[in-house]
Amino acid sequence: MHALIEGARGSVDQAELYWSRRREIHVLYQNYRLQQVEENDLSSVALRVIDDGRLGSTYGVFPDREDLLDDARTAARYGEPATFSFAPAASYADVRTYDGRTAGLTSQDLVDLCESVKGRIHNELPDIPLFIRCRAETSELLVESTEGAQGEIRATDFGIGFGAPFRGVGISIIKGERSISPLDVDGALIDEFVEWYRWGDKTSTPSTGRLPVLLAPEAAFLVLLPLLMGVSGDLVSKKTSPLVDRIGQPILSEKLTVIDDAVADGDPNARPFDDEGIPCGAHTIVENGVLKDYILDLRSGAALDRPSNGHGFKSALFGGGTEASPTPWFANPVIEAGEESWRDLVKGLNEGLLITNGMGFHSGNFPQGQFAVQAVGYHVVGGEVIGRLDRTMISGNIYEDLRAVRAVSRERRRAVIGLLSIGSAPYILVDSLQVAGK
Amino acid sequence: MKDRLAAIAAGLSADYADIRYEENRKVRILYEGKKLGEVASTVSSGGHARAYADGGKAISSFSDPERAGPIAESTCASASRAGRCREKGLRVADAPVIVDSFLVAPGKDPRTIPLKEKLDLATHYNEIVLGEPSVITTQTVYDEFASRRVFVNNEGSAIEYELLNCGIAGSIVTKKGNVVQRVRFAFGGCEDYGRLLDREEDLKKRIAKACELLDAEPVKAGVFPVILDPSEAGVFIHEAFGHLSEGDGLQNNPAFRARLQMGTKLGRSILNASDDPTLEGRPGHFIVDDEGVRGVKTRLITEGILTGRLHSRETAAEFGEPLSGNMRAVDARFTPLVRMSNIFIEPGDSSFDDMVTSVEDGYYLVGARGGQTSGDQFTFGAQWGFRIENGRIGPMVRDINMSGELFSTLEGISMVGDDLAFGERGGCGKGSPMQTNRKSGTGAPHIRIDAVTIGGV
Repeated sequence: MHALIEGARGSVDQAELYWSRRREIHVLYQNYRLQQVEENDLSSVALRVIDDGRLGSTYGVFPDREDLLDDARTAARYGEPATFSFAPAASYADVRTYDGRTAGLTSQDLVDLCESVKGRIHNELPDIPLFIRCRAETSELLVESTEGAQGEIRATDFGIGFGAPFRGVGISIIKGERSISPLDVDGALIDEFVEWYRWGDKTSTPSTGRLPVLLAPEAAFLVLLPLLMGVSGDLVSKKTSPLVDRIGQPILSEKLTVIDDAVADGDPNARPFDDEGIPCGAHTIVENGVLKDYILDLRSGAALDRPSNGHGFKSALFGGGTEASPTPWFANPVIEAGEESWRDLVKGLNEGLLITNGMGFHSGNFPQGQFAVQAVGYHVVGGEVIGRLDRTMISGNIYEDLRAVRAVSRERRRAVIGLLSIGSAPYILVDSLQVAGK
Repeated sequence: MKDRLAAIAAGLSADYADIRYEENRKVRILYEGKKLGEVASTVSSGGHARAYADGGKAISSFSDPERAGPIAESTCASASRAGRCREKGLRVADAPVIVDSFLVAPGKDPRTIPLKEKLDLATHYNEIVLGEPSVITTQTVYDEFASRRVFVNNEGSAIEYELLNCGIAGSIVTKKGNVVQRVRFAFGGCEDYGRLLDREEDLKKRIAKACELLDAEPVKAGVFPVILDPSEAGVFIHEAFGHLSEGDGLQNNPAFRARLQMGTKLGRSILNASDDPTLEGRPGHFIVDDEGVRGVKTRLITEGILTGRLHSRETAAEFGEPLSGNMRAVDARFTPLVRMSNIFIEPGDSSFDDMVTSVEDGYYLVGARGGQTSGDQFTFGAQWGFRIENGRIGPMVRDINMSGELFSTLEGISMVGDDLAFGERGGCGKGSPMQTNRKSGTGAPHIRIDAVTIGGV
């Protein structure tokens, strides 16, 4: 047990330590040129205490700072009455989160990989301002409490993404992948990038009205983020979620099943315990369109008179990290795949949109399920992509418009871009969304 | 610390190298509804080293100040290796050597106010919001950020400087039937704690809007002329144009560099826009940036013509344009980026009434609700709006997001009001990983844009 937690016993009612250390290497190419190499070594610590029945927290760099406990106690003097206890001792799933090969990578290894990707794309698209970002991260995370929780993991995270703005405009297309292990970039990903990039050489604006929309995995956040807010125990306990008292009821199409799979072995999002030391698992959120459960941290669980179900993460739409308070969040949301090929779904569209991203999502009323975004993607007519969408917005509400889903693709992949770039999803063909265009 | 870091910097083997070390104190008080969700007073510290060597560039963030020397040396070596992969090397523009101290001395310094007093103020405003029967919850946040920084480089600059801002902001969440609406409020956003006091009447006006919105209709989808209030117009110039005036975004994008040459006509002669970090009392105020360059006012658009750009030392060299002092990092975990300070549209001579009269079928959109930009494409939201029919303000509308393309939209600014106003809360997200910068302000008068796309029902 860490000395800080040991020392806190007897001086406060309860204490919880969160300590993270990350060593990262980032390599960034812009316009086919190496722009910068970045190597970081960062430590951060958060301490929460319950003192005289009140909650206080503080944040720092190293856990051996002498006044960390005093700062937390000072905060507790003014803090809210504690409605929960910190996590007790628990056994955690045995999940593979670390690959020593990633930990051993150097910046030169990342440069070499980027040079390989650069060469292959340059052969096809020599005149685009290609950017490549490659990252290798090794982290250690410790969560301990005076109540017995003792979680410690080592993790590695390797990621590569590449993309370029379409010719003459600022909208970019990005492809990428993540793993706990070093990755080579397979030819299929590069081929798809080249194909999609070339689709953008022409533009098209659909007429204002309702059209079928095929959401690519990169655009899954349009569904997952409103859903995250809807099932958040925080919003449910405040009764601002549209899903209050809806467990057991259909909220989405029966073709949609969403599982937050925090213990997917070898997945870069895998976590045996959450940021409060509660065990994580594979948690079904929506099954065949029916709402199965909310996601809870310690605080919202207490508010709903339930235990945390291991979703307390220091996450936020913007920001998050060690200094953030835990809040109910997804670890690794997965929308289950269907049976059809996404290319067949495109071919079956008389007129529709293939959406790869949506700009301005966060300025909409998404906690209520709504979105109204600038549509980034392609206009499909007669089963063929006729051009990149221009001056087009799509809007809807997932609890209304995603009740009618025509099909879900058999291909599923990690959505590495977008606001919620943490899960994976198939292509989802929505019967119709409101389109603002010509 | 300054002398130790200066000695390290002086010995670095690089064409250019700098080290920044900082101690950051934050106070955050959060109410969520009746519940006091957080009272936190935190201290963190860390450093950041940058080097340009043999045409390459490398950066490092670190937590342990004892390792500043070896990390800075290793950063120089990485930069040199990176230079081997570039045909055209990176370099930095010449800048004056500064050895000075720039400390903040606001009228009412939040650092001297007891935590209890700040908590009482947040409690007071939160209780006012909760007193309205239609309010189902609130989020009221007191935020204070005080950073003391040391900057040194291998050219001899050695600067101690402070950044400070404090504010109370939040959301008012109302509900009627199935309709849930959220209106934001924000006071302060600058160094002076005094700006947070006696704001009850301003808060009550926002509460009233959150209640009125419950009876508003969703906005209709389509393309419309719009009038943006100063808050919305400020976000527009920030999101749509401001990010394209940042040199690092253009540096490696040949298409936009070609389209945004100095002297390019971007709008009508009524359009003038500037970025000005010297505006005291605004969120984006600072004296010196995070690469030791003084911040200056930059006239970005003058009578519709592109006349200025925001730069780092690297991008100023790349473009052959003057330094502007806009290179800033949120904290030591991040490398500085070229960022707006206080960007604003300069006032014109149209009255608000004349603007409304000029619109036959459109919307008046009010209250910034964030935005996003990608090159020339932008999207941003409004907290509420009103239909305009035949030159008259009509019913209130809700759930508004709009998008457009920069160049045609700038050309479409057909009226600029005489009522310049600045927002009180700064905020801008940029970079990967994203740096959310509170020290970024916006301002504008009312403006009329002839056509924007609105996403609605």
